[in-house]
Amino acid sequence: MKISTNWLKEYIPVNHTVEEMANKISLTGIESGPVKLGEELTGLVVGHITSVEPHPDSDHLKVCKVDVGEAEDIQIVCGAPNVAADQYVIVAMHGAHLPNGVRIKRGKLRGQESNGMICGLDEVGVPAKYMPEEFENGIYVFDEPQKPGEAVYDLLGLKDQMIDIDITPNRADTLGMRGAAWEIGATYDEKPSFTEPKLINDKVKEFSDIDVAVENKDLVPDYLIRELKDVKVGKSPLWMQRRLWNQNIRPVNSVIDAANYVMIEYGQPIQAYDLDKLESNQLTVKFAENGDKLNLSDNDKVLDQNDLVVSSGNQIIGLAGIISSDVAKVDENTTNVLLEAGVFDGAHVRKTAQRHDLRNDASNRFEKGVDNGIVTEALTRATQLVDQTDSVKEISETIIGSYIEAKPTIIKGSVSHINHLMGLELTTEKMVGILERLGFNVEVDGDNLTVSVPTRRWDMSIEADLVEEVNRIYGYANLPNTLPAGMETRGGYSPKRELNNKLRNVLLGAGMDEVINYSLLNKKEVDDFNAIDTEYTKLLHPMTEDHEYLRSSLIPGLVRNIAYNQARKNADISIFEQARIFDRPTGQDRPNEVEYISGAVSGNVVSDSWNTKAQKVDFYYVKGLVEELLNNVNADSDFTFVATDEYSNLHPGQTAKILANEQVIGLVGKLHPNYQKAHSIDDTFVFELNVDLLFNLNKKSVQAQSAPKYPSISRDLAILVDKTVENGQIIADIYNNGGKYLKDVNIFDVYEGKNIKPSHKSLGYHLEFLNPDDTLTDDEVEKAFSLVKDSLVQKFNVEIR
Amino acid sequence: MSLNDTLKNLRENGIDEAKRAQRLQELNDLRVNLLGKKGPITKALRGMKDVPAEERPEIGTLANNVKNDIQAAIEEKMDELNKAIVAKKLAEEKIDVTLPATKQVQGTKHILNQTIEDIEQFFIGLGYEVAGGYEVEEDHYNFERLNIPKNHPARDMQDTFYLSDELLMRTQTSAQEGRDMEAHDFTKGPLKMISPGVVYRRDDDDATHSHQFHQIEGLVVDKNISMADLKGTLDALCRHVFGPDREIRFRPSFFPFTEPSVEVDVSCFNCGGEGCRICKYTGWIEVLGAGLTHPNVLKMSGIDPNEYSGMAFGLGPERFAMLKYGVNDIRDFYLNDVRFLEQFKGVN
Ligand SMILES: [Zn+2]
Repeated sequence: MKISTNWLKEYIPVNHTVEEMANKISLTGIESGPVKLGEELTGLVVGHITSVEPHPDSDHLKVCKVDVGEAEDIQIVCGAPNVAADQYVIVAMHGAHLPNGVRIKRGKLRGQESNGMICGLDEVGVPAKYMPEEFENGIYVFDEPQKPGEAVYDLLGLKDQMIDIDITPNRADTLGMRGAAWEIGATYDEKPSFTEPKLINDKVKEFSDIDVAVENKDLVPDYLIRELKDVKVGKSPLWMQRRLWNQNIRPVNSVIDAANYVMIEYGQPIQAYDLDKLESNQLTVKFAENGDKLNLSDNDKVLDQNDLVVSSGNQIIGLAGIISSDVAKVDENTTNVLLEAGVFDGAHVRKTAQRHDLRNDASNRFEKGVDNGIVTEALTRATQLVDQTDSVKEISETIIGSYIEAKPTIIKGSVSHINHLMGLELTTEKMVGILERLGFNVEVDGDNLTVSVPTRRWDMSIEADLVEEVNRIYGYANLPNTLPAGMETRGGYSPKRELNNKLRNVLLGAGMDEVINYSLLNKKEVDDFNAIDTEYTKLLHPMTEDHEYLRSSLIPGLVRNIAYNQARKNADISIFEQARIFDRPTGQDRPNEVEYISGAVSGNVVSDSWNTKAQKVDFYYVKGLVEELLNNVNADSDFTFVATDEYSNLHPGQTAKILANEQVIGLVGKLHPNYQKAHSIDDTFVFELNVDLLFNLNKKSVQAQSAPKYPSISRDLAILVDKTVENGQIIADIYNNGGKYLKDVNIFDVYEGKNIKPSHKSLGYHLEFLNPDDTLTDDEVEKAFSLVKDSLVQKFNVEIR
Repeated sequence: MSLNDTLKNLRENGIDEAKRAQRLQELNDLRVNLLGKKGPITKALRGMKDVPAEERPEIGTLANNVKNDIQAAIEEKMDELNKAIVAKKLAEEKIDVTLPATKQVQGTKHILNQTIEDIEQFFIGLGYEVAGGYEVEEDHYNFERLNIPKNHPARDMQDTFYLSDELLMRTQTSAQEGRDMEAHDFTKGPLKMISPGVVYRRDDDDATHSHQFHQIEGLVVDKNISMADLKGTLDALCRHVFGPDREIRFRPSFFPFTEPSVEVDVSCFNCGGEGCRICKYTGWIEVLGAGLTHPNVLKMSGIDPNEYSGMAFGLGPERFAMLKYGVNDIRDFYLNDVRFLEQFKGVN
């Protein structure tokens, strides 16, 4: 809401620029910014049109003589349809500056001299949609005579200076000028003064042509009506109109304007109804029936049983706390008026306004709360404003539909505890002084405070609220900087996070860049890689189809990254991500969140250079990354790679499951050529590992051993074997038969093709034997080596070469 | 010619030949020829028997000197030749050091993780534990336990991805507060934790909004936690992240789970507070929200607000990184263009 300083001056002295005030209010209370209307405007004065003649050479232009307070009237050519003699108007003189850089210059219009311009309100800065409808297509005409030549800015509020406050939901007390005056007053230690609204006594009578009932008093604690009889509906005075249009509210007529004005002044929304348009002499606040209609000028709304309405007979005359229907609208022919001031349940108002897309100034206030201590006064004030030009004959007493007397909130607190929570040592006197500045009543009993908080601060209920009030008004800038002084604590990561960090460092060390992807994927992406075969987890109301499902694999994100990069000529990509995947077992609503680490490598792993030859990524490169990760897990278990063709988007001949103690903990493999093609990416190898499973493996306990003192003996073994036999099988068999001194087995050659028996391959192994405690003899080694060879011949029908 | 003269001649010629030698082989040959058992010096000394006995010692000394002198000349020349050989070899081995290196590449840690870890390390140093938390959270922990009941207007401030009536993608890492307070044994000392992680909002992605982003929640609960403690902690954090000359300021704000609540601004690290484009000419940049834990939040976790107080803060790594490195589009963090990622190598 924008707080006009001109208006604010009615309540408190204003001695600072709006910039200074906005800054100070931001630091002590509510985020604010300065607003200065019409800074660019110059040369705008009141003009009195003394004569209007037709333009000799134009059908629509008129030649006007205008008194602008100078010795002689000036001539202005004007094209507005509503221009007429004896009007008081806005004149932009020669040299005047208007909004948007428009400059007025003396000149000739179709041969007739024109010494300025007669202006409409929108031409001098009032937005067209907030100016009175009657001037929409023409010049603005003052209702009352004004002094020709006088500047128009103050008359029309064109240069109002304002503080735009952007409230948090708890500070709706400042959504009225009076509430804002309290807040700004507390900031500057100025107590605001207000005039209580008074009605003309002999007009107020005990009568009522209407029965008011509230069916849901729990949702409508206050519902008050005044009936105004024989009302002459006219235009509201200029001072009121200019304040309204500067609040972005269009002046309509003296009744509607008064209602709107009170909403700005008190923060209490007021509705007005034309009594004679009501279907019955009943006014009832109740829930609508399904299918009820609310007539609005632009479109009708179909209501349901969750909408709280104001009704008369079968007629819906308003959505409670939000908007009045057109059926009982007050217009210039209205003679009997009902003014309504109520308090409506915020949650209901919020839901209804949201459902019907009708959130407005009134609903906004009820949603956040209103001061139920001023409902009666606000209604009286609205009545007084309708009658300000003596345009009402009779006024009813307040007709009560529901009413609960509002009482101040009592908060108990202790000076020492409040100081404690702030980290300050304010004296009781100082603290009480601050609370009193806010308009709170304070009783002191030693260390104890009993604070009576007026109803306008309904956000206050507990001692912590007092801490905030005292601290902010005292000034956060005056707080010292300290650190919590409790018992020592040991900081650090969780063991699982430590493992994640370690694994990430392994991959960073291997030259892989770390990426972060979205957890929400589209349907196709989750279908593409559901290696863990989980139930999908889906958002109820996704924003877009692209982000609808929780990921069950990190690979789709990595593939997207590779496609993105390769489309931009970043051909060689080596990336990884460590994040969670979501695994939802059947029958469980909530997915398990599982830490994964996953990588993808595409293109060259060694690039072509003046001294190196390019080397493309292959299965074994990525397998090497995985093995190094597994080595760093420090797990006391055997990891095995088992060929698999069960993943549809992975290459059936170049993919392996990774097992730890028979349990699948991940996979490594090449993307399927079709899948690569569909994503326009080069040959890409991926892996993923379930870090949670790795974390749960038994840790290896490392017992240091000295480096061996005795030499090792090695043997090379070349075999010819059927192609289908895997290296893993051979190695396992060699270990099984190599005896206790077999230390290490390495494959150093794999060959198939020329000079090799068809469907066979030649493999070369290097075996290393070592006895850590003694010198090995050739005999011992030869014996073990023979056993190895015999077994291979027997089991795999190998040919020893 | 006397033996004396013969020896002197041999010396002169030997030294002369050594000096003239061009190759190591010539010097080796010279040594063998002149100084060997079959060489002229040995031969000449056979004539010693004809020399009077009293002159023999003198001749003997001379013969030794001649040998030594020739030997020295050969060695000197050898040394010279060896040096020339090494020099030549080194000259031949000269390379162009401006040719590009053989790459030894480390990967680059994602800038958001660098930012998060920098902040984590700061708090670990102050004795904070780094906690995890769930990305799929119950409405109960994400809202209700944070003093945000259903239909609370504050739910408007953040639009939520729901999975069911009770399950949602957490909108804030504060969702972890309730769980951590429940789990903590206060007889073992204060609760001091930070909880980094991913959060989700029902937002359209654009340059400044992302449906997924990171937060770091901080929470300290102990018997004497104050606003001054909060200010001191965040002041130290901002100096750590944005530089030692920074200051912070508190502005009143509202969060349902803290009371008092503040927004925290840091003095502009670009202009030092004079006003520039980055700080929108205010000299200050809003970096995080904080406050004292709301008594209701403590109570709901079974903590007596009369005995204990808490401070909480929440900050956004994306925002920190955008400010610190001038990233203009939050989506860049999630596109993972390696050229974008690699520019942050080792910044933190
Ligand atoms: Zn700046």
